[in-house]
Amino acid sequence: MSQNKQPTKYQILRSIVLVALAIIVVRLFFIQIVEHQSWVAKADAQHTLLETITPKRGEVYMLDKGDPVAIVLNQSTYQIVIDPAVTEKSVIEDVMKEYAKDYQAADLDEIYGQEGLRYAIVAKNIPRTTAEKIAESGAPAVWLKKTNQRVYPEGELASGLLGFVNADGVGQYGVEGSLGNLLAGKEGLLKTTADINKVALSIGNDNIKIPAEDGKNIVLSIDRSLEKGVEDLALAEIDKTAATNASVLVMEANTGKVVAMANLPNYNPSDYGNVADASAYVNYTTEVPYEPASVCKNFAFSAAINEGVMLPSTTYFNQGYEIVDGWKIQNAEQRSILYGTIDMKTALYWSLNTGSIHALKLLGGNPNSITQAGREKLYDYYYNKFRLGRATGIEIIEAEGFIPDPNEGWGRDSVYANMTFGQNLGITMIQTATAFSAVVNGGYWRTPTVVEGILANNKIEPLTSEAPVEDKILSDETSAMMRDMLVNNRNYKVRAGIDRAGYAVGGKSGTAQVIKDGAYDDTMSETVGTYIGFVATEGELPKYIIMAKMWGEGHYLDGGIASNLFDTVSNYLIDYYKIKPGA
Amino acid sequence: MISQTYVTRRQVVGNSFARNRNTIRHTKRNLGSISQIIIIGMLTLVFALIYVAEGTKATSFDYELSSVESEITEMSARLEDLAVEKARLTSVATAKNSTVAAAMEHATVTGYVAE
Repeated sequence: MSQNKQPTKYQILRSIVLVALAIIVVRLFFIQIVEHQSWVAKADAQHTLLETITPKRGEVYMLDKGDPVAIVLNQSTYQIVIDPAVTEKSVIEDVMKEYAKDYQAADLDEIYGQEGLRYAIVAKNIPRTTAEKIAESGAPAVWLKKTNQRVYPEGELASGLLGFVNADGVGQYGVEGSLGNLLAGKEGLLKTTADINKVALSIGNDNIKIPAEDGKNIVLSIDRSLEKGVEDLALAEIDKTAATNASVLVMEANTGKVVAMANLPNYNPSDYGNVADASAYVNYTTEVPYEPASVCKNFAFSAAINEGVMLPSTTYFNQGYEIVDGWKIQNAEQRSILYGTIDMKTALYWSLNTGSIHALKLLGGNPNSITQAGREKLYDYYYNKFRLGRATGIEIIEAEGFIPDPNEGWGRDSVYANMTFGQNLGITMIQTATAFSAVVNGGYWRTPTVVEGILANNKIEPLTSEAPVEDKILSDETSAMMRDMLVNNRNYKVRAGIDRAGYAVGGKSGTAQVIKDGAYDDTMSETVGTYIGFVATEGELPKYIIMAKMWGEGHYLDGGIASNLFDTVSNYLIDYYKIKPGA
Repeated sequence: MISQTYVTRRQVVGNSFARNRNTIRHTKRNLGSISQIIIIGMLTLVFALIYVAEGTKATSFDYELSSVESEITEMSARLEDLAVEKARLTSVATAKNSTVAAAMEHATVTGYVAE
């Protein structure tokens, strides 16, 4: 007889416990084996601190009589952040009134008028000391957020050269943009076990700390006080004329060092967002190719003299115009005393286009017409020797511009005739000034530079180990003849008492027509005035090259107007550097 | 008068003591299992406390380090502030607009740089 055995309570309990244990074991298996990586990752996320170490952005310095002075620095500032749903309006109003009224960045009525807004920045750029006071005040539901701010203690000084750093911490325009990689440094990495307050702990085996590499401190070759003086003079000339803009370059003639680089009007790099016209960001001395007009006669004349086919005393017949490729090219100066046979020195003095076209003819070996050989020779000088239409190698952003091919395209003779007086080409101010240096400094083309070096341990070290280009492109005799003609160009300035006795100041003006609707505006309703020259002790080689450019949309601004700016800057330089007069 | 009676061992009847026999019996004393557990538990606790103490000591250095780093950050921020203030005070614009500069006379050339 079979007897059904009923499980005892103990057996039931044991079965339940076994099943429960089995469930736990299976679950543990999944957690420990199958989902191991996932859970490890979750655990790591809770106690691992992983953050990028931000490097300190390099500072920018100018020189003050040879010593570096900081003009771009960094500073920790704070923002006031509120949650309008939590922060009472009266509380934030009190905080703003008491501590941050000068730093208010948003309208409180507007913020509190928006429904559903949970995050608002109401004040920016609050100094640390003020932020500490706000924190100590214990205002409820008011948060402070630390930010890094680029500080420009000189305000608007040299803003076109310096550029700015945008909200993402990226350098834009000028030195900030061009040398951004050097200034930015390299980010570091910190991965470590951390406590609940995110304090890094040394326990754990996977801790990593790669220190950040701070950005380099860059010293510009710009002389701070001179820059300020030049900018003030340029602003004064703008006020006196119809010009809206002016750019001035001052360069050491024998080194290529730029000691002043002004672009007016300036803007405040700390407040770059409020600039109405983005063209204010542009450095017109390096970034914008243009037609500098008759200042290019210096290059055409130098080429012809250097080739031994022309002297300042060489004569030609001036009838006031030339017909080239069917185009009538006229002189701007039509005085009767200039008609007939005149020498090249006179042609340069009166800036006669027929004179520079004659230099082109002589370059080609035929005084009666422009030839292919002449075009090719002029191209060789402009592009290969003077390096016009090519990047100069200066450390900041620069445009290349263009020099037309001597053989390809229609109307090459007229194009090249125009090129002798600075039209039908595109070159930058820095290219022009560097080439002009070679014309007057004994014939040496040297790479222009605006960076003195890297400041490290109170020493200025070279930015690069590469030697700058130094190319002898003109003979000493050519350079001497050009200096003599350029000083002669300013006889009237000596007579007017503008150029002082004991100094050799030479220069050449340029008035460029502006292309409108694809053609030169023959009405001359708008022109760009340029003047380039040098300052020297009488009997010595030039010390400084000065190039001034003035323009304004819809206004006639000739080289004479730019020469007034040159005059004030040249005399300022003599006083500033205490350049000794000749005996 | 005090009297004293001496009794030799031989005279003691029924005494189990005998010549050349030890009068002391040494019995083997073992710890009980509970005592052993307590002792092992105590030792474990002591070692655990030592481990925790050492571990905490390392962590306390981390907090100290963190505190020093915060102090360095604070000092760096102050240094930055001072550098900015110095740059502002010595800027060309500040110098030019100062009352001291306004009261100055224009310089005349008194000498020239050495050649």
